Amino acid sequence: MAWIVGVDVGGTFTDFSARHVAMGRTVVHKRPSTPHDPSEAILNGFAELREIAGFQGADVERFAHGTTVATNALLQGRGGRLAVITTRGFRDMLEIGRQIRPRIYDLQEDVPPPLAPRERRIEVAERIGPKGEVVTALSDDEIASVLAQIDTIEGVECVAIGLLFSFLNPEHEQRIGAALRAHRPDLFVSLSSDVQPEFREFERFSTTAINAFLQPEVSRYMTNLKARVAEEMPNAAFGIFQSSGGLMSVERAAEFPVRTALSGPAAGAVGAIKSSGKSAIADVITLDIGGTSTDVCLIRGGRTSLANVRDIAGFRIRLPLIDIHTVGAGGGSIAHLGADGLLKVGPISAGAVPGPACYCRGGMDPTVSDANMLLGRLPQTLVGGGMTLDRGKALAAIEKLSGPLGLSAEETAFGILSIAASNMVRAIRAVSVELGHDPRDFALMPFGGAGGLHVADIARELGMTRILVPRAPGILCAEGLIVSDLQENFVGSCRIKLDDAEGLAALQANLAEMQERADDWFAQEGVAEGERRLKLSLDMRYVGQNHELQVEVGGAALPDLPEMKALFFATHARAYGHHDPEAPIEIVNLRLQATARLVHGDSADIPSEAIPAPLGHHDVWFDRAGPVDTPVYDRATLPIGFALQGPAIITQIDATTVVPPWCNLRVDEASNIIMEIDQ
Amino acid sequence: MSDLTLDPISLEITWSGLKSITDECFLTLMRSAFSTNVKERHDHSTAIADAQGRLIVQAEQALPIHLASMGGLVRHIVERYGDTIAPGDMFIGNDPHVAGGTHLPDINMAMPVFDGARLVGFVANIVHHADVGGAAVGSMSGGLNEIYKEGLRIPIVRLYRKGEVQDDILRLLLLNMRLPDERRGDLNAQIAACKLGVGRLSDMVARHGADYICRAFDEIIQRTKMRMQSAISSLPDGTYAYEDVMDDDGLGTEDILIKLEIRKAGEAIAFDFTGSDPQMPGNFNLTLNGTQSAVCYSLKALLDPDVPNNHGVIDSVEIIAPEGSVVNCVPPAAVALRLNTSQRLVDVILGAFAEVLPERVIGAANGANTSAVFAGINPETGQQYVYLETLGGGMGGRMTKDGKDGVQVHITNTSNLPVEAIEMEYPLRVEEYALIEDSGGAGKHRGGMGIRRSIRPIGHECEFNGVGERFRHAPWGVLGGQAGAPGRFFLRDNDGSERSLPPKASCIRVPPSTAAVIETPGAGGYGDPKDRTEDLREEDRRSGKFSETYLKDAYGAECA
Repeated sequence: MAWIVGVDVGGTFTDFSARHVAMGRTVVHKRPSTPHDPSEAILNGFAELREIAGFQGADVERFAHGTTVATNALLQGRGGRLAVITTRGFRDMLEIGRQIRPRIYDLQEDVPPPLAPRERRIEVAERIGPKGEVVTALSDDEIASVLAQIDTIEGVECVAIGLLFSFLNPEHEQRIGAALRAHRPDLFVSLSSDVQPEFREFERFSTTAINAFLQPEVSRYMTNLKARVAEEMPNAAFGIFQSSGGLMSVERAAEFPVRTALSGPAAGAVGAIKSSGKSAIADVITLDIGGTSTDVCLIRGGRTSLANVRDIAGFRIRLPLIDIHTVGAGGGSIAHLGADGLLKVGPISAGAVPGPACYCRGGMDPTVSDANMLLGRLPQTLVGGGMTLDRGKALAAIEKLSGPLGLSAEETAFGILSIAASNMVRAIRAVSVELGHDPRDFALMPFGGAGGLHVADIARELGMTRILVPRAPGILCAEGLIVSDLQENFVGSCRIKLDDAEGLAALQANLAEMQERADDWFAQEGVAEGERRLKLSLDMRYVGQNHELQVEVGGAALPDLPEMKALFFATHARAYGHHDPEAPIEIVNLRLQATARLVHGDSADIPSEAIPAPLGHHDVWFDRAGPVDTPVYDRATLPIGFALQGPAIITQIDATTVVPPWCNLRVDEASNIIMEIDQ
Repeated sequence: MSDLTLDPISLEITWSGLKSITDECFLTLMRSAFSTNVKERHDHSTAIADAQGRLIVQAEQALPIHLASMGGLVRHIVERYGDTIAPGDMFIGNDPHVAGGTHLPDINMAMPVFDGARLVGFVANIVHHADVGGAAVGSMSGGLNEIYKEGLRIPIVRLYRKGEVQDDILRLLLLNMRLPDERRGDLNAQIAACKLGVGRLSDMVARHGADYICRAFDEIIQRTKMRMQSAISSLPDGTYAYEDVMDDDGLGTEDILIKLEIRKAGEAIAFDFTGSDPQMPGNFNLTLNGTQSAVCYSLKALLDPDVPNNHGVIDSVEIIAPEGSVVNCVPPAAVALRLNTSQRLVDVILGAFAEVLPERVIGAANGANTSAVFAGINPETGQQYVYLETLGGGMGGRMTKDGKDGVQVHITNTSNLPVEAIEMEYPLRVEEYALIEDSGGAGKHRGGMGIRRSIRPIGHECEFNGVGERFRHAPWGVLGGQAGAPGRFFLRDNDGSERSLPPKASCIRVPPSTAAVIETPGAGGYGDPKDRTEDLREEDRRSGKFSETYLKDAYGAECA
């Protein structure tokens, strides 16, 4: 009786997905999050899940967790008291950053101040040069002096060590780190050469500082949760989801908390890949509409691309992360009249509290959800959600706008939805058209609670004809967790020109060393030989360029020279529209991704064969002409092979899908809903 | 106000669609360009203009200095070519004096959009090209006294005529530019972005009809103007004056006066630069378009940072700038380094508004576009290298908080190059990259600090060229705030001796025993220093950003 359990903790809800490995049966569950102590919702929800699915804690063989603990600690500044040790002459690096302001016309907005103020940034006399050579040696006296300075910092809890060129020669960082750990075992210590050994000092130092800042909080959380999970699920391996799209051990998560910064959304992308894969659809654009924001991710050939840099709460993180584009438009976005007299939606959001007016939690402003409510797209009661929505409150809120606009409330609501859709269309264009992909070649995949409400309008606007609604759109992140592999990313900085034979030999040696590190990791995680996978990619660029492209080589071995060039040309042409076969090329970094394939089982729901009856009928507006009498179906009752022509509303545990009259749908073999738009 | 007939929902959606077009053009240009300047520094902009040449929509990431430039080009196209403009034409130009540009490296292109025979509008873009010929590599060198020396001047000409590329024109252009292959790549990217934009806008015209689109253009301008005017009318009526002097033009003209009187009545506002100095021999002159960009930037930043950048903003202000002056130069004035002057204009405008907009203005910022160029022969490879960097400095103190330390301000917002990138690329060692102690002007909220960067050549002698402003005339404080420290260039020998360099330093030899040190200006403080809270003074001390002596002088003995 082996089960895999995935738990994704979001700001509002904690989602659960459990799968029986042998039978493939999947059970999902959802309960409100407990931000004061996320483990409360996890453990209570787990008990409820066990009840529903009928298994014992001891039956769980793997427990996979997506967490926002690190992100929230960063957003709310709840990290440890941080000190920084850096090369002499550069203690202001963290503060100057890239010397740019976040918004060009805004005189008041700044990047956030560094996590360690200047008096807690200590300089050390040492210097490594651009070939990894020691320019100024690090003396023992100097180390002693640094330790003494750390001791004078009252209440210090964590220390980030970032020295210039440590990605080429970590010796100085390691000596200071070892001395500090020996001298002060009470401190959390992060080395930039461990956290992300890549060139560009500001990004490396910033990522390291964030990591150290998060360590006390995340490590406390992980230790506590691990103990409680061990009690509840004595046989479970415990994995934490990282932003790059795989699981890592809880110990690594405590050591490198910065890697969990985009844990939840990344799990959603993995869930989307698995869901669409089962319907044999490999090219998908995801649309995750939440309360305050919408995440969009482009999946091509069943894979997402990785980004290497992201700002979170204004702090720069350089790490491999699943490339997800976020815009500030969601169900809670507030509609208002702009200074130019035009109707605007967002970026201000009613959030979870007070929330949309129709949620009856004190919200008075008209939101996107209120417009959906008024137009009959959101049912009065959310199935399984236990929440009753108030149409009267939605109407009252929207009437505040319809008066000044001189329109009916319904027309105004329709306008709100059209503008919200046009904002989301721009987000999808940003990840597709603007990067050289035609959205019409992709299926649009809504998830999150509100994705299905808007998906048809958005797809039609973009000329997309196919929509894939996953089996459990509200729980997709938790679903992603139970199908994830164990993953670790290794980076080696090794800057060589492609025509440099000596350099290529060094590159080969560097790769061999990384493979050794990967083998150590596999061994440490107890991964069997047959389950080990290695994937190599090269960061390459033309000599003189400042930014490199990640070139995948397909396998773990270094290809020969012509092959490397050909791969780079192809990548360059795809990204930039051209390549130059003559210009000299260089390699900047090697990246090795190690994955350990885990057993997932496969879901195999067999719903009843009965012809489903609608739960009821609703008046729903699909265009400005007027409402249409529309059947509402419970998703759980729709059997495989079921098909219908819109209009219809499909409701399920926490998600609603709108099927306009110009759409038809069918439930496919994988229990996904495939909607086609009659263009 | 004229009639607004489009409903506020459809127009919002149409506007969003137009923004999408300019954003897509922006990215297409960036993706297909060849040069670092476009690909990585994003020194380019894209826009849509109407049939009269009025700017309607600019890409989200477009730069303030490009605003008037693109509009300028299209207006000149309409004036010069009028009825002869045909589908498939594509225009190119860069000249500040006859083609609406602001300096020669910024090459503009525009292509008309037609509905049948009816001209609906234009799609335009601009790229800062890394070289357009002239006396020195990069076409941005100081010390040039007429525009002929700064590079190739392109009046508005057709690069495409009814869909046919004019190869003779293209060859003429490329022959006059260094690195012609890179130039061809960037020009092709501009052509591709024009064609893409025309295709997308034509689709919109086909979907909604030319009448609707033209109506939408009108209303976008009208509504922006209304929004701007309502912000303007919130200012008290009156006359506000300010003046400031620039250090020098690098060719012997010193203390260049910029004088401004702002007259505001109701919704009308006039910026009168009468009394500003005549244009200078050195290449810091602004064309009227450049002045317009600086005024629009300042108004947006002061009154409504979110107001869209289009002709409605330009249309809300009157600018009086005497011909032949530093703010409206005439041929053959040289202009390459005009960004320094734009920055100073912004300071002057902020200074004028200090009394009436105390919650919005900030102290004078570093007021410059401090640039440093290191060039030489790499001793390891024997190859020539050129390393260019523009450095930020202090931002002025603000009503509610201190000015940001070490940052790009106002018209510019370009990134620095990482120290590790510099050292791997060039035979140079960066010895220090730090905030300068005591450089932020005292005040209730102090000014931001300048940046110090010390660079030493390794194993060879290199050449240093620098352009600095506010090296003699310090960035002043507002509303009682004190001035920040001026910037300086100097050489520091191994024995500790220092040799000071002029603010426009050219062809300075730097041996390996010497470091060239760049110190950018700090910024002025905001409000009376005696109102600075004890907490903030304590922070100044604790952080080591300010010395005991400075704190004693600025805030009085009892604070020490």
